Amino acid sequence: MASTKSNLKRKASIVEAEPVTEVLSDDEFGDGLLEGVLEDESDSEEEETDGDDDEENENEDDEADIHSDDIPTDGEEVEKAMPNDEDAGPHYRVERDANGGERYVYDEIDPVYDSDDTDAEDAENRIGNIPLSFYDSYPHIGYDINGKKVARPATGEALDALLDSIEIPQGWTGLTDPQTGKPLNLSRDELELLRRVQMNEVPEEGFDPYPDTVEWFTSVEETMPLSAAPEPKRRFLPSKHEAKRIMKLVKAIREGRILPYKPPEEREREREEEEEQVYDLWAEETPRPPNVMHIPAPKLAPPGYDLSYNPPAEYLPTEDEKKKWEELDPEEREKPYLPQKYDSLRRTPAYDQFVKERFERCLDLYLAPRVRKSRLHIDPASLLPKLPRPEELRPFPTVASIEFTGHEGRVRSVSIDPSGQWLASGGEDGTVRVWGLADGRQQWQVKLSSEDAVDAVRWRPGQDALILAAAVSQDLFFVIPPIGSPELEQSSRDILDAGFGYAANGKQQLTTAAGARKDPPAKWGRPGGRLEDEGVLLKATARSPIKVINWHRRGDFLCTVSPTGQKASVLIHTLSKHLSQMPFAKLRGLAQTASFHPLRPLFFVATQRSIRCYDLQKQELVRTLQPGARWISSFDIHPGGDNLVVGSYDRRLLWHDFETGSRPYKTLRFHDEAVKCVGFHRSHPLFADASHDGSIQVFHSKVVNDLMEGPTIVPVKKLTGHKVMNKLGVMDISWHPQHPWIVSGGADGTCRLWT
Amino acid sequence: MARIKKKGEAGNAKNYITRTQAVKKLQISLPDFRKLCIWKGIFPREPRNKKKVTKSLTASTTFYYAKDIQYLLHEPLLQKFREQKVLEKKISRALGRGDVSDASRLERNASRPEKTGKPRYTLDHVIRERYPTFVDALRDLDDCLSMLFLFANLPSTSTVPAKMIARCERLCLEFQHYIITSQSLRKSFLSIKGIYYQASIQGEDILWLVPYKFNQRVIGDIDFRIMGTFVEFYMTLLGFVNFRLYTSAGLKYPPRFDQAKDDGAAELGALRLETNNAAAIASEPAQLANSESETGPDPKTQAEVNKLIRQMKETDVDGDRNQNDSEKEDSTDAIDKFEPAAPGGDVLPQPSYSSSEPESMFANCTFFLSRETPRQPLEFILRAFGCKRVGWDGVLGEGAYTTNELDPSITHQIVDRPVIQAAREETGDGDGDGEDSQTSQRLAPNQRVPGRIYVQPQWVWDSINDEEMKRPDLYAPGAQLPPHLSPFVQNTQGAYDPTMPLEDQEPEGEALDDSDEDVDEDDDNLAVKKVQDTADGMDVAESEEDEEDGGDDTFGGFSDEEKPGDEDDENEIEDEDRDAELQYQRELEAELTGKPIKQAATNPRTKAKMEAKKKLAKQAKEEEEELERAKGMLSKKKRKLFEQMQYSNNKKSAEDQKLRAKRRKLEKQKAKGKA
Repeated sequence: MASTKSNLKRKASIVEAEPVTEVLSDDEFGDGLLEGVLEDESDSEEEETDGDDDEENENEDDEADIHSDDIPTDGEEVEKAMPNDEDAGPHYRVERDANGGERYVYDEIDPVYDSDDTDAEDAENRIGNIPLSFYDSYPHIGYDINGKKVARPATGEALDALLDSIEIPQGWTGLTDPQTGKPLNLSRDELELLRRVQMNEVPEEGFDPYPDTVEWFTSVEETMPLSAAPEPKRRFLPSKHEAKRIMKLVKAIREGRILPYKPPEEREREREEEEEQVYDLWAEETPRPPNVMHIPAPKLAPPGYDLSYNPPAEYLPTEDEKKKWEELDPEEREKPYLPQKYDSLRRTPAYDQFVKERFERCLDLYLAPRVRKSRLHIDPASLLPKLPRPEELRPFPTVASIEFTGHEGRVRSVSIDPSGQWLASGGEDGTVRVWGLADGRQQWQVKLSSEDAVDAVRWRPGQDALILAAAVSQDLFFVIPPIGSPELEQSSRDILDAGFGYAANGKQQLTTAAGARKDPPAKWGRPGGRLEDEGVLLKATARSPIKVINWHRRGDFLCTVSPTGQKASVLIHTLSKHLSQMPFAKLRGLAQTASFHPLRPLFFVATQRSIRCYDLQKQELVRTLQPGARWISSFDIHPGGDNLVVGSYDRRLLWHDFETGSRPYKTLRFHDEAVKCVGFHRSHPLFADASHDGSIQVFHSKVVNDLMEGPTIVPVKKLTGHKVMNKLGVMDISWHPQHPWIVSGGADGTCRLWT
Repeated sequence: MARIKKKGEAGNAKNYITRTQAVKKLQISLPDFRKLCIWKGIFPREPRNKKKVTKSLTASTTFYYAKDIQYLLHEPLLQKFREQKVLEKKISRALGRGDVSDASRLERNASRPEKTGKPRYTLDHVIRERYPTFVDALRDLDDCLSMLFLFANLPSTSTVPAKMIARCERLCLEFQHYIITSQSLRKSFLSIKGIYYQASIQGEDILWLVPYKFNQRVIGDIDFRIMGTFVEFYMTLLGFVNFRLYTSAGLKYPPRFDQAKDDGAAELGALRLETNNAAAIASEPAQLANSESETGPDPKTQAEVNKLIRQMKETDVDGDRNQNDSEKEDSTDAIDKFEPAAPGGDVLPQPSYSSSEPESMFANCTFFLSRETPRQPLEFILRAFGCKRVGWDGVLGEGAYTTNELDPSITHQIVDRPVIQAAREETGDGDGDGEDSQTSQRLAPNQRVPGRIYVQPQWVWDSINDEEMKRPDLYAPGAQLPPHLSPFVQNTQGAYDPTMPLEDQEPEGEALDDSDEDVDEDDDNLAVKKVQDTADGMDVAESEEDEEDGGDDTFGGFSDEEKPGDEDDENEIEDEDRDAELQYQRELEAELTGKPIKQAATNPRTKAKMEAKKKLAKQAKEEEEELERAKGMLSKKKRKLFEQMQYSNNKKSAEDQKLRAKRRKLEKQKAKGKA
């Protein structure tokens, strides 16, 4: 027991000796060993394929063991024995083993270069590539190169195993090499290797992963260069491209495009300083004349008393005003604030609209269109014209003193006789009535027509006779009312009758001379019977209804206008010859009215839109006036002869000054309805117009013989009293020849005297 | 033959372009256009004939003068705006790609600002163009100052950066310093909106408004971008103006800024003026003196001052009389003022009435501001009017001449606190231990330092506006202050002037009306009153109906008020109404019967008045008729103009009348109260 024990203990160290012992003790341990082997085999059947490798490993191990320190004694023994072996012939020695049996010991083969022995050490077990299990039933596990059985290694008993475990040898792993059946121990090197692998180090000892580079191509110029080509020229010249790039940089630096790097804070600070840079901006100031189109912003108005924090008490709003102010929309308020009183400065709060007002001012400054407004710093009174005082304008008619009633229907025309005693009126009832102007009584009347109205009545100018011309439809009657003295009546009759003989001659003349013209423009004759008895002594019948009569100032001529008469619309009659003439062969427009100039031999004809002035002597058109009215109703010439006033149906009254041209000097629009009639007073500086709104307006007109000063026209009085019937008011007016009185005839059938 | 002119090729049609056209022409965005317009001072126009300008619709379009826009085309700022636009596009593109670093580099790359960084502009050339001469710039400084003073008092927000506010404040302080050194402040006015100041620089009157030091309320939709644009321009302008002013006064610009003092709310004291060259200028900067004296009083002078004060204390009893005496003396020395005795004469210019210069009115005074008074305006005004030593309570900030209320050198103290009735207690000597402590509030309430004038702040304003020291007793603490009047109102003939007695400025008719009312109030006899009123109605009814009505209205308004004294007024009005009706009735009856109107018995005084009234009414009527006639002769255009003028005049006079009526009433009330 003791020997086996020591054997087992030394198993690792004395490898060589063991096979011998094993061979010898095959029989003794065979059964016991087999059992263990079998058991082992069954456990590690899968490892069979690895058998070869294991064997090799084992061999290597053996060799390593040889060199280990444990066996120097054996080695010395071997070396001592070797010389003996060389001397003897055979290559082996017979030795005695531990059990006393003989044993052949072969020399160690020195595997020289050409020896049969290969580098690769053959496995000890030469059974080839068969599973080891085939030998399970045998005590050996194979054969070695010499054909000897390779004994199954003895497995130690349990106690040995325990002992082994207690004293763990170096490199013990606890594993069994399946090929050799020996315990698989690891050598120190192997352990070191494993440790390195575990520690992620390079497995090989002494391996330098970072070796110094070997400078194969160095700056050191070799005496023998690799290439013998001569150095190119460009190596000696500075690079153009680089120079270009550098120049770019230099330029940028010079221009300040590239600045040296600075930390952002510093840069920020620098920029601020730069921003605040101030200098004398107006060092060389040159005043510039203000641009015409530039309008400087108006300054805000300075604060008034009511804006004070402590204003006088009267500036404070009352409760009512406060309420009103609060009720108003903020946009509509006159002032955006209410005056407030604070009894001390510390009580004064902030003004809550401050920012808003500033903002609005900003908006005004850049958004509000600016317009230059010339503010008139003048007294409004200076705008008013300097008017003569009403006292200076007197006298003028002011009240209706007498009303003449009697006409049935409208009064179409009124006229005051040159002496100023009588008033003649013609109405739509076909009568001509003569009234005493002073008493208002009707003195005489005649019915000229039963169906047609009397369109116009006009007294013949001149104190020497009392002749009234009246137009009824186409007929022009000359009447001598029996109201004056008999002498006057007689002289009037003489005037009317003077033309009878002449008329007959003239008619013959006309027919003989002209031949073609058979019809005279008017037929003169006696009205006949009843009328003649009543004082109507002469009659001229025109071709169309006569609407207007106007006498020449001398009383011999009179003109009539019948607007529908076309070329024969304007006729000039000569009373002394009982002759009627057509001055116009052709007249443009509808003639409305016509009149003689009060001083000069001029003749005015008004059509609807214009007034033409003809020279009767030269028989030519002198001028045309364009009042601008749509429809002229009437006109009258100033007794001075240089002015003319025009009334029109479009409610205008136009004053023409012959000097100023064809356009009106003044346009007066004081009437609500059409102006029917206008008239100048013969001696007083007055004129009046009558309108269909039932009023008569009296104007004062001062005409001076000064080219620089125009006439002054002053409205003085509005005479109202006539009733408006069927949209017709006052039909005609007539001034008294001496007194500032006026007579009007109205559509209400009355005539009124205004004094 | 001349070529026929085509329509729309010359004149108005070419002179004006709409805003849209302008923006398109300049190829900038509308906000940029707005900025340009604000800076360049370009404003819309109202074409004389709108129809000729608008080729299409009649919608209310804004027109600009075409040449203005043409002139903008060459503006260097325009290029900057375009660069900015390009940069913004680049940044947004970079952000769109998610390239934040690139965007931030573009945003702040200042190494080559021309190429990549933010385009930076200055407004110098714009100011030069807009104001070719310095006087032009001064003329336009009103809005600039008002705006900057407002911004200096605004809280900083995202739209109003703190930096802008700080700069505004600084510029304003600099400007105020100039005003102080040049002593060019003329007038100031405490209004409900803020404080108005008027300075006269190089002959230009500059008026600006400074808000009270409170947090400003921002209501409604106020676009701070627009205001910011203005402020940007104004800041540049005031910077240059300040530079010019400082250099012309021989001072260095910018003045040295003391950050530590500014942090201590020294405001004006934070800036220290320096002369430009060694040769000192005549006017020493104000706050130099202030800071000098801060080192501590010289013991010698202190002793003298103490002695003086003791003397003053002794003479304090008859101080008022002394003052009066001195005033009398002054008046004998001064030039007699020639007042025109009768209207119509020419007014000859006279040298100023006051012998001393108003600019250095406070030169010999030392002021102390109590802590409840507004320090900034008072300091500014006092200094601008020559005061070298302004002290204030320590809580009001740094930079005071003294913070010791008991400092014996103080001559005036400005107090704005009510007199406390309860806390009247006698304390010991006030000035004995005055020097030892530096704590500010050591005096008991109501306690006064003897030898010192206590006034309310309004005293300062009224004094400088009237260019003389006002009587301090009117402005004593707790006293009812006299009304604070605007110094900017130019009194025109006929307008209501609160400084003049009522009798001097009311027209005859009104005075008569007024005296009637007096009579009414005096007499209790109802019959007489009735007659009085009937006479009134008869004469005035026709011509002055409107006015009468107006007057009645105002009285009605008053009578609605709280005062019980108005009771009888109301009655009176009712009486008047009733009487008017009665009178009318009586007149009708008289007309029917053909009898003259019954005249009740009247006393001679009222009769005389009645006659005067009648005469007036008649005259008025005649005048009115005359006017009507004259108006009839005017052309339509002139008549309209005349009516417009008359309307505005009437409105003004109606306002004046209202004011006079109110004042009359107040005076009557006062008289009643006295009686």
